Amino acid sequence: MATDTEVDLTPRLKTDEMLINMGPQHPATHGVLRLILTLDGEIVRHTEPILGHLHRAQEWQGQNRTWFQYQALIDRVDYLSGMFTSWAMARAAEVVDGCEVPERAEYLRVMVSEMNRITSHLLWLGTYLIDLGAMFGFPFYPFREREKLLELFEEIAGQRMMFNYIRIGGVMRNPKDAWLSKLKKFTEEFPDRVDEYEAIVTENPIFLKRTKGIGILRKELGMDYGITGPSIRASGVDIDLRRTKPYSVYPKLKFDVPVNDRDGDTFDRYIFRIREMRQSNEIIKQCLDMLPQGEISGKKQIAGLRVKAGEGFAAVESPRGTLGCYIISNGSDRAYRIKWRNPSFCNLSILPELLKNHPIADVMAIFGSIDVILPDVDR
Amino acid sequence: MRNGAEILKLGTLTFTWWCIIFGAVWIACYVVGVAIPMLLSSYESDAARITAETCRALTPILSVLVFIPINAMFMVLFERRGLAIFTVRLGPNRVGPDGYLQTAADAVKLLFKEDITPHGADAFMFTLAPIVFFAPSIFGAMPLLAAVTNYHELFQIVNLPTGIFFILAASSVPVVGIVMGGWASNNKYSLVGGLRSAAQAISYEIPLVLSLVTVCLLAGSLDVVEIMKQQAGGILNWNILGGGALRGLDSALALKFSNAAPALQELSAKSFDQVLKTAYSDPAAAALGLAAGQDSMATIASVIAVVVLMACVLIAAGLYMTGACAEINRIPFDLPEAESELVSGYNTEYSGIKFAIFFLAEFTNLFVVASIFVVMFLGGGDCPVPAWLGNMLGGPQMASAINQLLSPLIAIKFVDPPTLFAAIWVILKVYGIVFFAVLVRGTLPRFRIDQLMDFGWKRLIPLSLIVFVLVVFAREFVNVHVGS
Amino acid sequence: MSETPAAKPPEEPKGPGLCGQFLKDHGIATNRLADSCGVETIEIDGAHLEAAMKLLRGSSEIKLDYLVAVSGVDSADTFDSVYQLWSYTNNNELIIKVRVKKTDVVEGQLPLVPSLSRFWSAANWHERETYDLVGIRYYGHPYLRRILNVWDWDGHPLRRDYKQLVDSLNDKAPGSFR
Repeated sequence: MATDTEVDLTPRLKTDEMLINMGPQHPATHGVLRLILTLDGEIVRHTEPILGHLHRAQEWQGQNRTWFQYQALIDRVDYLSGMFTSWAMARAAEVVDGCEVPERAEYLRVMVSEMNRITSHLLWLGTYLIDLGAMFGFPFYPFREREKLLELFEEIAGQRMMFNYIRIGGVMRNPKDAWLSKLKKFTEEFPDRVDEYEAIVTENPIFLKRTKGIGILRKELGMDYGITGPSIRASGVDIDLRRTKPYSVYPKLKFDVPVNDRDGDTFDRYIFRIREMRQSNEIIKQCLDMLPQGEISGKKQIAGLRVKAGEGFAAVESPRGTLGCYIISNGSDRAYRIKWRNPSFCNLSILPELLKNHPIADVMAIFGSIDVILPDVDR
Repeated sequence: MRNGAEILKLGTLTFTWWCIIFGAVWIACYVVGVAIPMLLSSYESDAARITAETCRALTPILSVLVFIPINAMFMVLFERRGLAIFTVRLGPNRVGPDGYLQTAADAVKLLFKEDITPHGADAFMFTLAPIVFFAPSIFGAMPLLAAVTNYHELFQIVNLPTGIFFILAASSVPVVGIVMGGWASNNKYSLVGGLRSAAQAISYEIPLVLSLVTVCLLAGSLDVVEIMKQQAGGILNWNILGGGALRGLDSALALKFSNAAPALQELSAKSFDQVLKTAYSDPAAAALGLAAGQDSMATIASVIAVVVLMACVLIAAGLYMTGACAEINRIPFDLPEAESELVSGYNTEYSGIKFAIFFLAEFTNLFVVASIFVVMFLGGGDCPVPAWLGNMLGGPQMASAINQLLSPLIAIKFVDPPTLFAAIWVILKVYGIVFFAVLVRGTLPRFRIDQLMDFGWKRLIPLSLIVFVLVVFAREFVNVHVGS
Repeated sequence: MSETPAAKPPEEPKGPGLCGQFLKDHGIATNRLADSCGVETIEIDGAHLEAAMKLLRGSSEIKLDYLVAVSGVDSADTFDSVYQLWSYTNNNELIIKVRVKKTDVVEGQLPLVPSLSRFWSAANWHERETYDLVGIRYYGHPYLRRILNVWDWDGHPLRRDYKQLVDSLNDKAPGSFR
């Protein structure tokens, strides 16, 4: 990976390499990731990520809790986009079970999960700026809008982050008209807010200096590692399940999936997430206009919820990439095996490659740019 | 405006704290420097005289020792509340009335926390580091005291003929403390932070010093009091606007508004030769010539020189601010304690009172560099309103009214009006600069270390050299600082 | 709760599917299983796995170049290593299962499946995870070490015969915190 910012320290003076432990308690690792860095001066030569500090045995719990109990737990798999984890499992279970999901429920699912995508990207934006050292100031602006969305979530699901809103067969609750009009108001003013972020960040010379040409992810390398989501779309691979393997009502909606035309650096990954937020906003708008009347659940939400025997894999496009769920059911009230395919887990595996030959200051700039959520990695 | 209420709260908070800081320092200085010697003067013994003199001599150091902790406490609060406003938050508002005592509580907490020395650390160096870091900010600021108090007799003792030189020398010592702390902590993050700090301080000291040397060149003196005095007489005389290059404009305006129209008439009637002759030597005449519509090569040359000089000094001021931010490790140059990379850099392992001292020194350093900026560029304790404008706005009447009001205090020597006004202006200006630093902190991300070095060595240092050389030449064409 | 794996749907698939046929053309025998929710599912012998993967990944018409996930399943009488294959460019999907019979596993040892991570980096962490949780040893893996559990963890939690540790944090212990 030859980049112009790569620092060439061909060893005229050979010194010992330094082993440094970054994390698990480090102010910038977004949770508890431990990186064992081998440094040559300030240049990272080798990285070994140590995971598992947040391991909560979600898969084990999946096969030891009933479907109904487990639904409430899986928001914790990726706490920043709980709607997507719920949706992935609900879809997998529906595929296996063969139950119908009412159209209204599908629209509501799309709506809340696109809202969730926005909150997730907003939080990423704020924390990423912190990773780059803008400790105060800008990072709090995205939280202002995120707060509004969280309030909407609280109103519809009763919780701000652990929603348990999308259920197997449908959604939990019908939104009130007031909620819909609040959401509409939000979608109208949100593009202006994104313009505001861009005005502060996109042209900021220090930000450009820190991100342009840093951590270039080659397309082939990304595909080899199975990277998905905005990170790989910023490197020019056109994979977005909402379009390539359309599910739910996405085929009926008009939206762009921004795809880069070259190998992306951290700046590209930033700008593509910003664009995605705008697109999500458009999707919510359309859903609000097209929302039909009708039932909201095709399956009775009872404690003895069962899924027919069979096995199946279903995935949704989460803010971080392909979030898949592989279910084997034996027809009882709990799963025989549940396997999560978490985008953060797969995206994180490329970190050692990306960090190679970058200075230690870029570790967090790159790590932040691939948007990894540690609970999603460790489950 | 949505934030109006918050801004108002910050204003009242600032005013209250200024009163506290001012009152404490003022009373301490009065008691030690004036009241005790006055009382002792009634005794006719050598012991009494020696005690009185000692007290007077101790006043400057006492004032600093009282000032620094209270001021740093307030600055932390000011920064936190200011940042809260920039970031649409509320900031600390729980401890005491509306959060006024937040940092006081923090300070108490830090003082009573367990003081941990990590295993394997060099205990002696580990303890020495905060002291080495903090001490220079006390003694380094001493010469400034004479300048900011309008050369009050109690503070004349701390003035040095080479004041700015001393200040700069002192301000480069803290980096030793940082390296010591980083090395002694037995922590890799600390070590990297300390070494970064050394590299950064060395690189950014050069543009910092060169920009100040530019000002000294303009002033023809290293004495901060001298530099401050030269800038007296309103904003147009300040170094940041060319160091008296606009004095001509100033006096022209003064002439115009002091109903001295005949003088103007007379001057405009002068012959071309006379204007030419005076243009090089006296910018006042040049500006008058311009004002009167005279056109000549000489006037143009003089005006160009004035513009170049102003631009250069403005750039020098910018360079100073940049260098100073790097010197005191503030965003965007806070590499030594880069949180997202080095946890907390050199002070990662510090806790309790040692950390408190690091923290205190950091904010004191910010205050000191802001004061240097105020004295060197913004006229120290000078009122920004020129005398002629002040006269029009009723300044003298106001001044005499205030004097009348304070006359009982003046009688017991509690208040010395020139010093009081100088100090008030200095505080206002310094907090203006501090506010600017807070604003920068609320806006910019952090540089990477190699970008920082690039920026320092490849941009700032050449620029400061160019500015320096330009000022050397421009100064020849403009008679800056009459009488120098 | 019954401990039997998914009961197979009654209708058996007729003949090899697209990918099965492709592999057959290249001389790799596969055994078609019941489709899992409309996705072609094949069983393959561990020895042919690497060759089959290389073929599927490299061919221009199939181009299953996206390894979505590697899962381990402790079925009734086999240990399954399940590979979800997608494509970055087309809509092909395939599920490959490598089954190791429990009776073939030597007592006290782990079932063996060849590793893909030598030529497919995406498999690296998934295989580590499966090793960690289900206890399938991927031979040829460059760094097969526990990834989610701590390095000295005892047992493989997603095995059906896994016994939860009884300690102070566990509600089965008498002095439990809960």
